[in-house]
Amino acid sequence: MDKFSDPCCKACTHSRQTPCAQFVECCLSGPLCHNSVECRAAREGIVAKLAHSPAFRERQDA
Amino acid sequence: MYYKQILICAGTGCISSGALDIQSVLASELARHGLQDKVRIIMSGCHGFCEKGPIVIVYPDDVFYCEVRPEDVPELVEEYLVKGNLVERLLYKDPVTQETVISHDKIMFYHKQKRQALRNCGVIDPENIDEYIIRGGYLGLRKALQMAPADVVSEVKAAGLRGRGGAGFPTGTKWQFAAGSPGDKKYIVCNADEGDPGAFMDRSILEGDPHAVLEGMLIAGRAIGADEGYIYVRSEYPLAVRRLRTAIAQAEEYGFVGGNILASGFSFKLKIKEGAGAFVCGEETALLASIEGRRGVPRHRPPFPAVKGLWDKPTCINNVETLANVPLILQLGAAWFASVGTAGSKGTKVFAVTGKVNNTGLVEVPMGITIREIVFTIGGGIRGGKKFKAVQIGGPSGGCIPEQHLDLPVDFDSLTAAGAMMGSGGLVVVDEDTCMVDLARYFLNFTKSESCGQCVPCRLGITQMYDILEDITAGKAKPEDLDLLRELALGIKQGSMCGLGQTAPNPVLTTLRYFRDEYEAHVRDGRCPALVCKALVQYRINVEKCIGCRACVKACAVGAITGELKVPHVIDTALCTKCGACMDACPKRVRAVECVSAGRTAQSEVEEGSACAS
Repeated sequence: MDKFSDPCCKACTHSRQTPCAQFVECCLSGPLCHNSVECRAAREGIVAKLAHSPAFRERQDA
Repeated sequence: MYYKQILICAGTGCISSGALDIQSVLASELARHGLQDKVRIIMSGCHGFCEKGPIVIVYPDDVFYCEVRPEDVPELVEEYLVKGNLVERLLYKDPVTQETVISHDKIMFYHKQKRQALRNCGVIDPENIDEYIIRGGYLGLRKALQMAPADVVSEVKAAGLRGRGGAGFPTGTKWQFAAGSPGDKKYIVCNADEGDPGAFMDRSILEGDPHAVLEGMLIAGRAIGADEGYIYVRSEYPLAVRRLRTAIAQAEEYGFVGGNILASGFSFKLKIKEGAGAFVCGEETALLASIEGRRGVPRHRPPFPAVKGLWDKPTCINNVETLANVPLILQLGAAWFASVGTAGSKGTKVFAVTGKVNNTGLVEVPMGITIREIVFTIGGGIRGGKKFKAVQIGGPSGGCIPEQHLDLPVDFDSLTAAGAMMGSGGLVVVDEDTCMVDLARYFLNFTKSESCGQCVPCRLGITQMYDILEDITAGKAKPEDLDLLRELALGIKQGSMCGLGQTAPNPVLTTLRYFRDEYEAHVRDGRCPALVCKALVQYRINVEKCIGCRACVKACAVGAITGELKVPHVIDTALCTKCGACMDACPKRVRAVECVSAGRTAQSEVEEGSACAS
């Protein structure tokens, strides 16, 4: 899983043709439809790679 | 995993200053040191501090390097990334305290800013949708899709968001009109036809955070029941266009654009229309005509576009900055958004600060901040220690605010009351060397050239006003011309069909209001106090100071200066073209060339650059 649009495993069905309502939340704290340490780690890996500082994930002024 | 991430500003300004070369050299140097898999290079959007570009920030340390050149990169890699030593000479130095500043948020330029619309500019890679998502992107859309469309409109109304493109019309109310218009087909149009000279707010958002604009359009589409959107963007913004195309393709891939978005049943498609650069196409009905493939000229309203817009369908047109604010309102709530700003102007405003100010660049400030804070705190004051004279705010349709109003709060209503307008966010600072009559003439020349010519008050009236200003700056005007100028200005404002003509006289009206003494000096005394208007100034050589070095003789292209070596020189005023080359050439320690206008004398200041010589 190199990017959020890649399915983490066969359980993920999100695509343009079969969209998942919770896709955005799933990117940030998924998976939401199944329990998988590996799938969660895959998403966190993307965040860890791209977030260049602790403040990166903090919504400014939130 | 990366242990350092290096952001290089890849806004148009920094690219012009060599950001892409920095990227190239940095990649080579990282490879040379075997760091290519440990250090990530991110080409970000504009950081705003264009005066100090190209800007390079190293994370997670948050070390801010400025005015970086490609030849600095090997040292930066060797000293900082390999050895861990700061490269002091590339750090920002506070011009007042002379202290070196490491982190960007300690720099006064950023200190008073509140970056909401620019929240991701200079923070993320604008061509990577994942970074936008990590920063909370598309959560606003997700929330909007869970709400009833009318509730989305209500949320935006409650936030008090007003259009950032010029007039400041309440966005929620505009959405309500469009939502209430009958029709099975509706459009959302993003007005990215940023035409004000010196303004680059919208361009920076599009280049630095295109997904914020797309998300704003999607939410607007959901709110009013539109299923198609157009982004009307200037073709002179190739980088913005490229990043928009990339963003749209990514949003389609992720299922944010297209059919049945996030399984909501809501569908929306997006298209880009590149404009040819006519200023009048920023006017909404002209913009719509241009999208339709017709000549971009305004039409009478009503019917307003919310009722009869693109291809006669209800259409909601919002500005780039307006749309970039929308996702935040949905994600964080109307109350959060409304907590910043003044009673009548909520949120923040992005300004392109240019002119005679130390720190030019892009700033985002809370509504209600004073002009003084923008110019002297964020902007760092006036260049060369000169005296502040005015700010020209709101672009060619705006007005000039003088020194006595430096503490005026910047919000829609205060600026309008002062005779100016928020406009799209151009803010030009002028100093004592600027002639306000000449400045008004400059802006009027722009609107004269950009008038579509459809209605008489604008087409002929602005030309008449311009001719009077030409007479004034040439010393040919009569005292009664000032009243005529004002009368014409008011008539054009009242009689013009669209916003271009209705606002074009503003620079003249505000300079007449606040700087009438300068107009009178031109007309009554044949004098230009700022020594700018060529017809009213003369160059002469002070024989008591002249050392006869012949520097001015050599510099004069028309042979107007004569004199032997070590003998004071003389300017033949009949031949002199008043180019100021002699003043530039005269040694600073001598300053024998003087620029005068009916009594006032300005000695040559080669390094500071006097008005005459500029």
